[in-house]
Amino acid sequence: MGAAAAAANTASMPEQVVFWFLAAAIIVGSIFTMTRRNPVTAVMSLVGTFFALAALYATLNAHFLAIIQILVYAGAIMVLFIFVVMILNREEATPVTLRGLPTRALGVLSGLYLIWVFFRIVGSSPVTGPPPSVPDSFGTVASIGDVLFRDFVYPFEAISLLLLIAIVGGVTISRSHRKEVAADKAAEARRAIQQMAHADYPAVDTALEGGHGGSSSGGGGGGHH
Amino acid sequence: MGRHPEAVGEGITDMPVQYYLTLSFVLFVIGTAGVLLRRNALIVLMGIELQLNAGNLALLAFSRGLGDQKGHVFAFLIIAIAAAEAAVGLAILVGLFRSRQTINLDEASLMKR
Repeated sequence: MGAAAAAANTASMPEQVVFWFLAAAIIVGSIFTMTRRNPVTAVMSLVGTFFALAALYATLNAHFLAIIQILVYAGAIMVLFIFVVMILNREEATPVTLRGLPTRALGVLSGLYLIWVFFRIVGSSPVTGPPPSVPDSFGTVASIGDVLFRDFVYPFEAISLLLLIAIVGGVTISRSHRKEVAADKAAEARRAIQQMAHADYPAVDTALEGGHGGSSSGGGGGGHH
Repeated sequence: MGRHPEAVGEGITDMPVQYYLTLSFVLFVIGTAGVLLRRNALIVLMGIELQLNAGNLALLAFSRGLGDQKGHVFAFLIIAIAAAEAAVGLAILVGLFRSRQTINLDEASLMKR
């Protein structure tokens, strides 16, 4: 590794072809995702981008992450997106808006900062030249699990808690409140009927207290009166 | 790591890590441009997913360049966070559409006025 660190790119021809093909697929797919007006086209090109990214992860010896990328991203998350697109399929009238001058200046400044950091890191030592040799088990499920459950147990547990919170939050936010309103109204009506029954026939009320499970029939009888 | 005494292989590719980092940078910039410029909340969420994936790519590239698997664990956790973010974000989107009949972010500035 040390001898080859100065050399630029020692990758063989097929490796280069695979990398550039996947890189082109990722860039074209992401640009398509961000520029199409039709949300369905955007979601489909995002799925393609994720597949190409998964292949690129595999070339980085990250087999486990490549599988997870396909299962979680291209599988679960994008299906969620497609469902939401089906619920609210709308094309936008004004796809792009530009903000005022201060915001734009801030954007340009942070963009320049990002470029500066990028070139500083890309020029540094461990990323130029061919990557070091790694064990054959690098990136497999067994060795990732080894690191995950030895050194990162608490983050793992925290993530499971976060996912639970996300489930509860998602259900709470997106739930329809129409049924609850209907249930509230029904409970109110039932209470009014019981009050009427109590006023007219105290015996009905004691029968309800007796608890034969006949609250609706008793209430109904009082309501007919 | 010291826990993997078995055979030392070559890895799958000899492409220098900086190529992957450059690709990650480009992907992040495309995602950021989408998040900042598009007004459709659905597309903005997709831009956030692109940004997260660019971060994952950079983590995995560094992980490969340094021969350390901790980056893989971070990427794994980021994918879990992205799943949570997508679930809650899309739920908010559906709630927004139900109450305001729009997913245009310029028309959803209730807390601004």
